Amino acid sequence: MQVRIDLHNHSCLSPCADDGMLPSLLALQAMERGIEILALTDHNATENLDAFGEACKLCSIMPVYGIEVTTIEEVHLLVLFEGLKEARAYGSAIQETLPRRLNQAERFGRQIICDVAGTVVNEVDLMLSSASSLSFDEVVVDASKAGALVIPAHIDRPSYSVLANLGFLPDLPYTAVEMVNPTPQAWTVITASDAHFLEEVGIRSCILEMEEIGWEALKRSLGDQKNVRY
Amino acid sequence: MRVEELATVKEFEAIHIADKDRAVSTGYCGDLLSDVMANAPAQSVLMTIQAHKNTIAVASLVGISALVICNGRTVGADMLDAAREEEISIFVTDLNHFEAAAKVMALLERGDAGTH
Repeated sequence: MQVRIDLHNHSCLSPCADDGMLPSLLALQAMERGIEILALTDHNATENLDAFGEACKLCSIMPVYGIEVTTIEEVHLLVLFEGLKEARAYGSAIQETLPRRLNQAERFGRQIICDVAGTVVNEVDLMLSSASSLSFDEVVVDASKAGALVIPAHIDRPSYSVLANLGFLPDLPYTAVEMVNPTPQAWTVITASDAHFLEEVGIRSCILEMEEIGWEALKRSLGDQKNVRY
Repeated sequence: MRVEELATVKEFEAIHIADKDRAVSTGYCGDLLSDVMANAPAQSVLMTIQAHKNTIAVASLVGISALVICNGRTVGADMLDAAREEEISIFVTDLNHFEAAAKVMALLERGDAGTH
């Protein structure tokens, strides 16, 4: 079967994303754009994944519980989990490795935690746009050992990308790599919205040939470039 | 000047000297290795905080003579192994890029004065 996937999106928890980017609106918009597997990947944070998971279920979308980690090299890396709990635990562990610098919401943007109805529950104090003390290599190796999907983000962008910051892709066990403009690579190449505003949801997605909609099938399908269309 | 003269800077700690006689004629500061690849001159010393083994590969490609890893960043075993293999010297320092570059510049200028 052909399944439309979009594995890189932000919510109002990311300081750089729009405050109106509620997890539930992200799911609704994705549903309207025909996306059947959707990931939420806030910067160094997973606190909105609960609301996101609930919203996806209401929209009949398969949720992928993710985070966009900023490594010590200032490279953005998507780490995606099957389960909400493991993703939340991973997010907490990542936050332990961020500098103890507080966010200045008026300058960098609010970091809003909300429920599925969009009610503000809390805000994260720690500055989420900081870099973790973990290296790119250790995040890739440890997260893939833990069974996560590991995807270097927007590798063809001039900032916060592995190619800009590290010059070339270290030979590591990536699930795939994300590109804004896909070109052939040694790993499976996907594209994704990286939406920070509601109108950006679904601007980039890809169609995967999968046996069924599910975690193991997603993992298997991403293992081969032949399964991906843009 | 030669790589071994970098060891005379008291704030620089040599963690690997590949070839003490290798020539250094200039320097470059940068943390984006794509930029280093494009713009760093050969025979230079690179001031960077990018303590990753890719930095060694890029140094080798460009012909960089030595690295100064700034701001007290830690050099991992994999990077050190790569440096041994590619014969790139590495110094570490708590100085930032600007301060480290000033030290390197002073050495280069002293070298120039000696040859005139």
